Amino acid sequence: MDQKRLFAAIAISIGILLVFNYLSPPTQQARQRQEQTQQQAAATGQPAPTPGPTGPLGAPTDASPAAGAPTSEAQRLPIEGPRVRGTLSLRGARLDDLVLLDYRETVAPDSPLVRLLAPRSGGAPYYAQWGWTAADGRTRVPGNDTDWQAEGGPLSPDHPVTLRWDNGQGQVFEIEVKLDANFMFTAEQRVRNNGAEPVKVLPWTRVRRDRTPPVQGYYLLHEGFVGVLGGRLTEHTFSNVRDEANKRGGPALDQESAGGWAGFTDKYWLTALMPTDQAQTLRAAFRFIQEGQGPTGERWQVDFATPQPQEVAAGGSAVLGTRLFAGAKEVRLLTHYRDTLGIPDFDKAVDFGWFYFLTKPFFYALDWLYHLFGNFGIAILVFTLLVKLAFFPLANKAYKSMSRMKLLAPKMQEVRERYKDDPAKMQAEMMALYKTEKINPASGCLPILIQMPVFFALYKVLFVTIEMRHAPFFGWIHDLSAPDPTNLFTLFGLIPWDPPHMLHMPLWAIIMGCTMWLQQKLNPQPPDPVQARIFQFMPIIFTFMLASFPAGLVIYWSWNNLLSIGQQWLIMRRDRLAQKARTGGQTPKAIAATPKPNRG
Amino acid sequence: MSRATELPAMLLRGAVRTYQWTLRPVIGCNCRFEPSCSHYAIEALSTHGAWRGALLAGGRILRCNPWHPGGYDPVPQARPRPAAGQPVPKG
Repeated sequence: MDQKRLFAAIAISIGILLVFNYLSPPTQQARQRQEQTQQQAAATGQPAPTPGPTGPLGAPTDASPAAGAPTSEAQRLPIEGPRVRGTLSLRGARLDDLVLLDYRETVAPDSPLVRLLAPRSGGAPYYAQWGWTAADGRTRVPGNDTDWQAEGGPLSPDHPVTLRWDNGQGQVFEIEVKLDANFMFTAEQRVRNNGAEPVKVLPWTRVRRDRTPPVQGYYLLHEGFVGVLGGRLTEHTFSNVRDEANKRGGPALDQESAGGWAGFTDKYWLTALMPTDQAQTLRAAFRFIQEGQGPTGERWQVDFATPQPQEVAAGGSAVLGTRLFAGAKEVRLLTHYRDTLGIPDFDKAVDFGWFYFLTKPFFYALDWLYHLFGNFGIAILVFTLLVKLAFFPLANKAYKSMSRMKLLAPKMQEVRERYKDDPAKMQAEMMALYKTEKINPASGCLPILIQMPVFFALYKVLFVTIEMRHAPFFGWIHDLSAPDPTNLFTLFGLIPWDPPHMLHMPLWAIIMGCTMWLQQKLNPQPPDPVQARIFQFMPIIFTFMLASFPAGLVIYWSWNNLLSIGQQWLIMRRDRLAQKARTGGQTPKAIAATPKPNRG
Repeated sequence: MSRATELPAMLLRGAVRTYQWTLRPVIGCNCRFEPSCSHYAIEALSTHGAWRGALLAGGRILRCNPWHPGGYDPVPQARPRPAAGQPVPKG
């Protein structure tokens, strides 16, 4: 084996390790580091790669125009919205600098604002851009290094701004950008042909990420490409798009859609493009491009273009109107845009999942309680209590017989004694006993089947919505969406050391484990001894599994267990008192003969 | 029984087994019957095939609620082909 190959093999191995490292869920520290790099994005002077043409005609590419790259500093147009601040680079007409004024990176009041868009010169380029491709192969179109002229500014809800560029050959390109009071930009791309010949251009708009962003990597939460195209919700993870793009040797998705929207979603943030006129058909694409080695060379892109190039006659003009959403996934705001701008299913940018019909109303209920009590943690507790109360009749009916069974213990002991050599027979006799005594220890499979989606939906809502982000609770919980910071392995702060990520065992997770164990004690055990074993280990497994979960979810889970235990205890106690009153304080006598099992 | 080896029934049985080893320990055993709903489903799928087995299991889950006394409820035996409709003596 020659040395070149050996080195290549080593490089690839390291690359794979780096990819894995990149793809695994980041720790708190890693997330903070990532946010810092985004903050410093503008400061560092890393050269931006210039990729070549990536596909067929119409695919927005990074191909620079023939002219040499200008060396002067690019002009920037300030953006001053009520909820966003940033700049638009007049070189290349890129919106590549945007922070959200209402959101900070950490709970600390002086922590930096959340940065959504960042320039190519930084460590995590993420930007939106508007442009054209020359469909006739000769029209000079604006490129990445074109310096646009801006009229007016700064860009604000009251002051739209028009960018203008004259190609010197008779065509004038214009981009009119507007901003609303929240996170919605509107762009109108116009070409005016003052030349003598008709021209053919293809207008496009795109959102681009020049790095693979860190994802949280939970099954419950979609991060990556998202959109509603052709009336269908389309969600693709980054690795999904990479595989598909490699397989097809082109865009991972290329679809003409009447209306709709598409973009990138993070857990809390979204950038999405869409036609302004939702009746218009545009062509949407999800792309992956590998430039160079490893994760730093990965480029991700969502773009919209007209399905056919626009032919602009001499003296005529052509227009493409699109919108860009760049902001936080606030459910009410997304729903508002859905209804007022006619953007189909825009609220589904929040990953409400299959149980949308449950999760969405649950969200509204929680949000209402949140405004009522002023604390999201209390809203969770109250809402869980209400759901439990709604299911109380079911549980009451079941638990009643469960507690009555305890009073039948002598009878059951007798059955056990009699059939101790024949477990199958014993089980059958036991069931027959339940039937004649009109008792049964279990609530049944149907109530569980009905309740499961409800509690899963509540769990999902807490997981995916931004409203829990940085929401405080009592004591040491300052952010319900972050893992509980306390740790058993530092004796809750008494030992000054920094244990590895593996050894994180917060107090709330331990409380959760205890409540789960207690609740299991009160529930019937599985008949199979091996499964009964697993059953016993479940609280321990879950304690470890939930240790790194958002504190709000662990608190919800603990509270839910606690309510179940309390409910059971209450019913048992009431029943025992009633029984005592009936029998005059004596335990029921064992019956002499057990009835034959009824096989009806 | 040859029908027991058909693929859909096998897949469904696999799904029930997966449930027994993953979800059941989490949500607890709440069945009011003997055999339990999941064991009933596996047996029904084995003896009656995917379609009828799934129907039997679905009916059993609907019966498994607090208003039904529960108790011993085995899977009905498969009817032998020639004597369809004849009651089969237990043995």
